[in-house]
Amino acid sequence: MIALLGLLVGVVVGLVAQPDVPLSLQPYLPIAVVAALDAVFGGFRAFLDGIFDDKVFVVSFLSNVVIAAAIVWVGDKLGVGGQLSTGVIVVLGIRIFSNVAAIRRHLFHA
Amino acid sequence: MTTPLLTLITQQSLDEDYLHVAERRAAGHGRAPTARPQVRAAIVLALFGLIVMTAVIQTSRNSSTDQAGRASLIERINAERAVGRSLQTRIGRVTASNTAAEETLSAVTAAAVAAQTRLRRVQIRTGYLAVTGPGVRVTVTDPESGEEAVRDTDLRRLVNGLWQAGAEAIAINGQRLTVLTAIRNSGPVVNVNYQPLRPPYVVTAIGDPRTLQADLLDSEGGAEFIGLARQYGFGVDVQNVDDDGLTLPAATQRGLRSAQIAAPSRPDMEDLAP
Repeated sequence: MIALLGLLVGVVVGLVAQPDVPLSLQPYLPIAVVAALDAVFGGFRAFLDGIFDDKVFVVSFLSNVVIAAAIVWVGDKLGVGGQLSTGVIVVLGIRIFSNVAAIRRHLFHA
Repeated sequence: MTTPLLTLITQQSLDEDYLHVAERRAAGHGRAPTARPQVRAAIVLALFGLIVMTAVIQTSRNSSTDQAGRASLIERINAERAVGRSLQTRIGRVTASNTAAEETLSAVTAAAVAAQTRLRRVQIRTGYLAVTGPGVRVTVTDPESGEEAVRDTDLRRLVNGLWQAGAEAIAINGQRLTVLTAIRNSGPVVNVNYQPLRPPYVVTAIGDPRTLQADLLDSEGGAEFIGLARQYGFGVDVQNVDDDGLTLPAATQRGLRSAQIAAPSRPDMEDLAP
Protein backbone atom coordinates (compact mmCIF):
# COMPACT_ATOMS: atom_id res chain seq x y z
CA MET A 1 0.00 0.00 0.00
CA ILE A 2 2.79 2.35 0.90
CA ALA A 3 4.49 1.37 -2.38
CA LEU A 4 1.41 2.33 -4.41
CA LEU A 5 1.27 5.59 -2.49
CA GLY A 6 4.89 6.23 -3.41
CA LEU A 7 4.13 5.57 -7.08
CA LEU A 8 1.23 8.01 -6.93
CA VAL A 9 3.40 10.66 -5.22
CA GLY A 10 6.05 10.24 -7.92
CA VAL A 11 3.54 10.65 -10.74
CA VAL A 12 2.03 13.74 -9.12
CA VAL A 13 5.42 15.30 -8.46
CA GLY A 14 6.38 14.62 -12.09
CA LEU A 15 3.18 16.20 -13.35
CA VAL A 16 3.51 19.26 -11.15
CA ALA A 17 7.23 19.90 -11.34
CA GLN A 18 7.71 18.89 -14.97
CA PRO A 19 11.47 18.60 -14.56
CA ASP A 20 13.61 19.43 -17.52
CA VAL A 21 15.96 16.72 -18.73
CA PRO A 22 19.28 17.98 -20.08
CA LEU A 23 19.40 17.70 -23.82
CA SER A 24 22.39 15.34 -23.70
CA LEU A 25 20.44 12.88 -21.52
CA GLN A 26 17.22 12.99 -23.47
CA PRO A 27 17.97 10.05 -25.81
CA TYR A 28 18.60 7.77 -22.81
CA LEU A 29 15.42 8.59 -20.87
CA PRO A 30 13.09 6.20 -22.79
CA ILE A 31 15.50 3.28 -22.42
CA ALA A 32 15.85 4.08 -18.70
CA VAL A 33 12.07 4.01 -18.38
CA VAL A 34 11.88 0.57 -20.02
CA ALA A 35 14.64 -0.72 -17.73
CA ALA A 36 12.83 0.67 -14.70
CA LEU A 37 9.63 -0.96 -15.88
CA ASP A 38 11.45 -4.30 -16.00
CA ALA A 39 12.75 -3.83 -12.45
CA VAL A 40 9.30 -2.86 -11.19
CA PHE A 41 7.59 -5.85 -12.75
CA GLY A 42 10.37 -8.12 -11.48
CA GLY A 43 9.87 -6.74 -7.96
CA PHE A 44 6.11 -7.19 -8.16
CA ARG A 45 6.54 -10.78 -9.26
CA ALA A 46 8.95 -11.42 -6.40
CA PHE A 47 6.42 -9.83 -4.06
CA LEU A 48 3.73 -12.21 -5.29
CA ASP A 49 6.19 -15.11 -5.00
CA GLY A 50 6.70 -14.06 -1.41
CA ILE A 51 10.42 -13.53 -1.78
CA PHE A 52 10.40 -9.76 -2.17
CA ASP A 53 13.34 -7.95 -0.67
CA ASP A 54 13.38 -4.19 -0.76
CA LYS A 55 17.18 -3.96 -0.86
CA VAL A 56 17.37 -6.23 -3.90
CA PHE A 57 14.58 -4.20 -5.47
CA VAL A 58 16.38 -0.90 -4.95
CA VAL A 59 19.66 -2.23 -6.25
CA SER A 60 18.09 -3.94 -9.28
CA PHE A 61 16.08 -0.83 -10.12
CA LEU A 62 19.04 1.55 -9.99
CA SER A 63 21.44 -0.79 -11.75
CA ASN A 64 18.89 -1.58 -14.47
CA VAL A 65 18.32 2.10 -15.19
CA VAL A 66 21.98 3.06 -15.11
CA ILE A 67 23.23 0.06 -17.10
CA ALA A 68 20.57 0.36 -19.80
CA ALA A 69 21.31 4.07 -20.26
CA ALA A 70 25.07 3.41 -20.17
CA ILE A 71 24.86 0.68 -22.81
CA VAL A 72 23.00 2.98 -25.18
CA TRP A 73 25.41 5.83 -24.40
CA VAL A 74 28.40 3.63 -25.23
CA GLY A 75 26.62 2.50 -28.37
CA ASP A 76 26.10 6.11 -29.38
CA LYS A 77 29.80 6.77 -28.90
CA LEU A 78 30.65 3.75 -31.05
CA GLY A 79 28.09 4.62 -33.71
CA VAL A 80 25.86 1.60 -33.03
CA GLY A 81 23.49 3.32 -30.60
CA GLY A 82 20.41 2.40 -32.59
CA GLN A 83 21.28 -1.29 -32.79
CA LEU A 84 22.29 -1.52 -29.13
CA SER A 85 19.12 0.21 -27.93
CA THR A 86 17.12 -2.20 -30.08
CA GLY A 87 18.90 -5.12 -28.41
CA VAL A 88 18.31 -3.71 -24.92
CA ILE A 89 14.63 -3.09 -25.69
CA VAL A 90 14.21 -6.64 -27.00
CA VAL A 91 15.79 -8.27 -23.94
CA LEU A 92 13.93 -6.07 -21.47
CA GLY A 93 10.68 -6.53 -23.38
CA ILE A 94 10.96 -10.32 -23.22
CA ARG A 95 11.71 -10.12 -19.52
CA ILE A 96 8.77 -7.83 -18.90
CA PHE A 97 6.45 -10.14 -20.81
CA SER A 98 7.54 -13.26 -18.94
CA ASN A 99 7.32 -11.45 -15.60
CA VAL A 100 3.85 -10.17 -16.41
CA ALA A 101 2.88 -13.70 -17.41
CA ALA A 102 4.03 -14.96 -13.99
CA ILE A 103 2.13 -12.15 -12.27
CA ARG A 104 -0.97 -13.02 -14.23
CA ARG A 105 -0.62 -16.63 -13.16
CA HIS A 106 -0.42 -15.50 -9.54
CA LEU A 107 -3.34 -13.10 -9.72
CA PHE A 108 -5.78 -15.21 -11.71
CA HIS A 109 -4.39 -18.65 -10.95
CA ALA A 110 -4.47 -19.37 -14.63
CA MET B 1 24.95 -27.62 -23.18
CA THR B 2 24.17 -23.99 -23.73
CA THR B 3 20.66 -22.75 -23.25
CA PRO B 4 19.09 -20.94 -26.22
CA LEU B 5 19.14 -17.21 -25.73
CA LEU B 6 15.36 -16.74 -25.61
CA THR B 7 14.92 -19.53 -23.09
CA LEU B 8 17.72 -18.12 -20.98
CA ILE B 9 16.18 -14.69 -20.92
CA THR B 10 12.76 -16.11 -20.06
CA GLN B 11 14.13 -18.27 -17.28
CA GLN B 12 16.10 -15.47 -15.72
CA SER B 13 13.42 -12.87 -16.08
CA LEU B 14 13.14 -12.72 -12.31
CA ASP B 15 16.27 -11.38 -10.72
CA GLU B 16 18.12 -14.30 -9.20
CA ASP B 17 19.06 -12.06 -6.28
CA TYR B 18 15.54 -12.40 -4.90
CA LEU B 19 15.98 -16.18 -4.83
CA HIS B 20 19.47 -15.97 -3.31
CA VAL B 21 18.32 -13.67 -0.56
CA ALA B 22 15.30 -15.82 0.11
CA GLU B 23 17.43 -18.97 0.32
CA ARG B 24 19.91 -17.28 2.61
CA ARG B 25 17.12 -16.04 4.82
CA ALA B 26 15.61 -19.51 4.90
CA ALA B 27 19.01 -20.87 5.91
CA GLY B 28 19.05 -18.38 8.75
CA HIS B 29 22.10 -16.45 7.57
CA GLY B 30 20.17 -13.47 6.32
CA ARG B 31 19.69 -10.30 8.16
CA ALA B 32 16.46 -9.78 9.97
CA PRO B 33 13.64 -8.37 7.89
CA THR B 34 13.54 -4.62 8.03
CA ALA B 35 11.02 -3.04 10.26
CA ARG B 36 9.49 -1.01 7.45
CA PRO B 37 10.41 -2.96 4.32
CA GLN B 38 8.11 -1.07 2.07
CA VAL B 39 9.40 2.45 2.62
CA ARG B 40 12.49 2.13 0.46
CA ALA B 41 10.47 0.36 -2.21
CA ALA B 42 7.97 3.20 -2.05
CA ILE B 43 10.74 5.76 -2.52
CA VAL B 44 12.06 3.84 -5.54
CA LEU B 45 8.56 3.56 -6.95
CA ALA B 46 8.14 7.30 -6.53
CA LEU B 47 11.37 7.74 -8.46
CA PHE B 48 9.96 5.39 -11.11
CA GLY B 49 6.77 7.44 -11.39
CA LEU B 50 8.82 10.61 -11.67
CA ILE B 51 10.96 9.18 -14.46
CA VAL B 52 7.96 7.89 -16.36
CA MET B 53 6.14 11.20 -16.13
CA THR B 54 9.26 13.09 -17.15
CA ALA B 55 9.66 10.88 -20.20
CA VAL B 56 6.00 11.27 -21.11
CA ILE B 57 6.10 15.04 -20.76
CA GLN B 58 9.36 15.26 -22.63
CA THR B 59 8.02 13.18 -25.49
CA SER B 60 4.85 15.23 -25.78
CA ARG B 61 6.91 18.44 -25.71
CA ASN B 62 9.21 17.12 -28.39
CA SER B 63 6.25 16.05 -30.43
CA SER B 64 5.02 19.64 -30.49
CA THR B 65 8.37 20.85 -31.80
CA ASP B 66 8.41 17.92 -34.23
CA GLN B 67 4.99 18.99 -35.42
CA ALA B 68 6.23 22.55 -35.89
CA GLY B 69 9.24 21.30 -37.82
CA ARG B 70 7.02 19.14 -39.99
CA ALA B 71 4.64 22.03 -40.60
CA SER B 72 7.46 24.34 -41.63
CA LEU B 73 8.86 21.61 -43.86
CA ILE B 74 5.48 21.13 -45.53
CA GLU B 75 5.26 24.88 -45.98
CA ARG B 76 8.67 24.91 -47.61
CA ILE B 77 7.75 22.00 -49.85
CA ASN B 78 4.63 23.81 -50.99
CA ALA B 79 6.59 27.01 -51.62
CA GLU B 80 9.21 25.12 -53.60
CA ARG B 81 6.45 23.36 -55.54
CA ALA B 82 5.02 26.74 -56.47
CA VAL B 83 8.45 27.87 -57.57
CA GLY B 84 8.80 24.66 -59.57
CA ARG B 85 5.43 25.25 -61.23
CA SER B 86 6.36 28.79 -62.20
CA LEU B 87 9.67 27.50 -63.54
CA GLN B 88 7.77 24.89 -65.55
CA THR B 89 5.59 27.54 -67.13
CA ARG B 90 8.72 29.53 -67.86
CA ILE B 91 10.24 26.47 -69.50
CA GLY B 92 7.13 26.21 -71.63
CA ARG B 93 7.31 29.85 -72.63
CA VAL B 94 11.02 29.70 -73.36
CA THR B 95 10.57 26.51 -75.36
CA ALA B 96 7.84 28.13 -77.42
CA SER B 97 9.94 31.21 -78.08
CA ASN B 98 12.87 28.91 -78.84
CA THR B 99 10.80 27.08 -81.42
CA ALA B 100 9.72 30.39 -82.95
CA ALA B 101 13.34 31.55 -83.01
CA GLU B 102 14.39 28.29 -84.63
CA GLU B 103 11.75 28.74 -87.31
CA THR B 104 12.96 32.27 -87.92
CA LEU B 105 16.52 31.02 -88.03
CA SER B 106 15.72 28.35 -90.60
CA ALA B 107 13.81 30.89 -92.68
CA VAL B 108 16.72 33.34 -92.46
CA THR B 109 19.18 30.58 -93.30
CA ALA B 110 17.14 29.58 -96.32
CA ALA B 111 17.00 33.22 -97.40
CA ALA B 112 20.75 33.55 -96.90
CA VAL B 113 21.40 30.41 -98.95
CA ALA B 114 19.08 31.66 -101.67
CA ALA B 115 20.81 35.05 -101.64
CA GLN B 116 24.21 33.33 -101.78
CA THR B 117 23.07 31.23 -104.74
CA ARG B 118 21.67 34.31 -106.46
CA LEU B 119 24.92 36.18 -105.80
CA ARG B 120 26.94 33.35 -107.32
CA ARG B 121 24.74 33.24 -110.40
CA VAL B 122 25.04 36.98 -110.76
CA GLN B 123 28.80 36.74 -110.28
CA ILE B 124 29.02 34.06 -112.96
CA ARG B 125 26.89 36.11 -115.32
CA THR B 126 28.86 39.28 -114.75
CA GLY B 127 32.24 37.58 -114.83
CA TYR B 128 33.40 38.10 -111.27
CA LEU B 129 33.60 34.42 -110.32
CA ALA B 130 35.98 31.86 -111.76
CA VAL B 131 33.98 29.14 -113.56
CA THR B 132 34.69 25.80 -115.13
CA GLY B 133 32.76 23.67 -117.58
CA PRO B 134 32.54 22.38 -121.13
CA GLY B 135 32.58 24.72 -124.12
CA VAL B 136 34.56 25.73 -127.17
CA ARG B 137 38.04 27.12 -127.60
CA VAL B 138 38.49 29.42 -130.64
CA THR B 139 42.09 30.24 -131.53
CA VAL B 140 42.48 33.21 -133.85
CA THR B 141 45.90 33.98 -135.40
CA ASP B 142 47.06 36.84 -137.57
CA PRO B 143 47.45 36.05 -141.28
CA GLU B 144 50.87 34.59 -142.03
CA SER B 145 51.64 37.20 -144.70
CA GLY B 146 50.47 40.70 -145.48
CA GLU B 147 49.84 43.87 -143.57
CA GLU B 148 46.50 42.87 -142.07
CA ALA B 149 46.11 41.83 -138.44
CA VAL B 150 43.24 40.79 -136.19
CA ARG B 151 41.54 43.94 -134.88
CA ASP B 152 39.20 44.72 -132.02
CA THR B 153 36.15 44.71 -134.27
CA ASP B 154 36.91 41.16 -135.43
CA LEU B 155 37.16 39.86 -131.89
CA ARG B 156 34.05 41.86 -130.91
CA ARG B 157 32.09 40.14 -133.68
CA LEU B 158 33.33 36.74 -132.54
CA VAL B 159 32.44 37.46 -128.92
CA ASN B 160 29.00 38.79 -129.86
CA GLY B 161 28.44 35.68 -131.92
CA LEU B 162 29.42 33.49 -128.96
CA TRP B 163 27.01 35.37 -126.63
CA GLN B 164 24.28 34.96 -129.24
CA ALA B 165 25.07 31.27 -129.57
CA GLY B 166 24.39 30.82 -125.86
CA ALA B 167 27.83 31.11 -124.25
CA GLU B 168 27.58 31.58 -120.51
CA ALA B 169 31.07 32.91 -119.84
CA ILE B 170 33.82 34.09 -122.17
CA ALA B 171 37.49 34.92 -121.73
CA ILE B 172 40.12 36.09 -124.21
CA ASN B 173 43.70 35.07 -123.42
CA GLY B 174 42.70 34.67 -119.78
CA GLN B 175 40.96 38.04 -119.61
CA ARG B 176 37.41 37.38 -118.45
CA LEU B 177 34.74 39.37 -120.20
CA THR B 178 32.49 41.26 -117.81
CA VAL B 179 29.78 43.86 -118.09
CA LEU B 180 32.51 46.50 -117.95
CA THR B 181 34.80 44.89 -120.51
CA ALA B 182 35.92 46.85 -123.55
CA ILE B 183 37.69 45.30 -126.55
CA ARG B 184 39.62 48.06 -128.20
CA ASN B 185 42.59 48.61 -130.41
CA SER B 186 45.36 50.85 -129.27
CA GLY B 187 47.49 51.18 -132.36
CA PRO B 188 48.05 47.64 -133.67
CA VAL B 189 47.57 46.05 -130.26
CA VAL B 190 44.22 44.67 -129.09
CA ASN B 191 43.34 45.60 -125.50
CA VAL B 192 40.86 43.64 -123.42
CA ASN B 193 40.00 45.01 -119.97
CA TYR B 194 42.66 47.66 -120.76
CA GLN B 195 45.28 44.90 -120.87
CA PRO B 196 47.27 44.56 -124.10
CA LEU B 197 47.03 41.10 -125.66
CA ARG B 198 49.49 39.31 -127.86
CA PRO B 199 48.37 37.04 -130.68
CA PRO B 200 47.32 34.28 -130.98
CA TYR B 201 43.99 35.20 -129.43
CA VAL B 202 42.48 32.25 -127.60
CA VAL B 203 38.78 32.86 -127.00
CA THR B 204 37.35 30.36 -124.52
CA ALA B 205 33.58 30.19 -124.06
CA ILE B 206 31.64 27.99 -121.68
CA GLY B 207 28.37 26.67 -123.01
CA ASP B 208 26.75 23.58 -124.42
CA PRO B 209 29.51 22.10 -126.64
CA ARG B 210 26.97 20.21 -128.77
CA THR B 211 25.25 23.37 -130.01
CA LEU B 212 27.65 26.21 -129.33
CA GLN B 213 29.81 25.78 -132.43
CA ALA B 214 26.91 25.37 -134.86
CA ASP B 215 24.96 28.24 -133.30
CA LEU B 216 28.07 30.41 -133.53
CA LEU B 217 28.21 29.89 -137.31
CA ASP B 218 24.48 30.59 -137.52
CA SER B 219 24.66 33.81 -135.52
CA GLU B 220 25.04 37.19 -137.14
CA GLY B 221 28.32 38.04 -135.39
CA GLY B 222 29.78 34.58 -136.01
CA ALA B 223 28.92 34.64 -139.69
CA GLU B 224 30.44 38.11 -140.09
CA PHE B 225 33.58 37.00 -138.26
CA ILE B 226 34.00 33.92 -140.43
CA GLY B 227 33.52 36.06 -143.51
CA LEU B 228 36.19 38.53 -142.39
CA ALA B 229 38.54 35.71 -141.47
CA ARG B 230 38.22 34.21 -144.93
CA GLN B 231 38.62 37.62 -146.52
CA TYR B 232 41.81 38.53 -144.65
CA GLY B 233 43.22 35.08 -144.16
CA PHE B 234 43.07 34.79 -140.32
CA GLY B 235 43.87 31.45 -138.90
CA VAL B 236 40.74 30.20 -137.07
CA ASP B 237 40.76 26.97 -135.10
CA VAL B 238 37.57 25.97 -133.26
CA GLN B 239 37.82 23.13 -130.77
CA ASN B 240 35.10 21.54 -128.65
CA VAL B 241 36.13 20.94 -125.05
CA ASP B 242 34.02 18.47 -123.08
CA ASP B 243 33.72 17.55 -119.43
CA ASP B 244 34.66 20.65 -117.48
CA GLY B 245 37.77 21.06 -119.57
CA LEU B 246 37.64 24.86 -119.55
CA THR B 247 38.42 27.01 -116.58
CA LEU B 248 37.81 30.72 -116.85
CA PRO B 249 39.41 33.03 -114.26
CA ALA B 250 37.46 35.70 -112.41
CA ALA B 251 37.78 39.27 -113.51
CA THR B 252 39.48 41.71 -111.21
CA GLN B 253 36.78 43.30 -109.16
CA ARG B 254 36.60 47.03 -109.24
CA GLY B 255 34.80 48.89 -106.48
CA LEU B 256 31.79 50.93 -107.36
CA ARG B 257 32.49 54.58 -106.70
CA SER B 258 29.51 56.32 -108.28
CA ALA B 259 26.88 53.69 -108.93
CA GLN B 260 24.31 53.04 -106.21
CA ILE B 261 21.46 50.59 -105.99
CA ALA B 262 18.27 52.15 -107.29
CA ALA B 263 15.43 51.85 -104.77
CA PRO B 264 13.42 49.69 -104.59
CA SER B 265 15.91 46.94 -105.13
CA ARG B 266 14.61 44.12 -107.23
CA PRO B 267 14.60 40.74 -105.58
CA ASP B 268 14.28 38.91 -108.92
CA MET B 269 17.89 39.45 -109.83
CA GLU B 270 18.17 35.91 -111.16
CA ASP B 271 16.38 37.19 -114.24
CA LEU B 272 19.57 39.00 -115.02
CA ALA B 273 20.65 37.48 -118.30
CA PRO B 274 23.28 38.41 -120.81
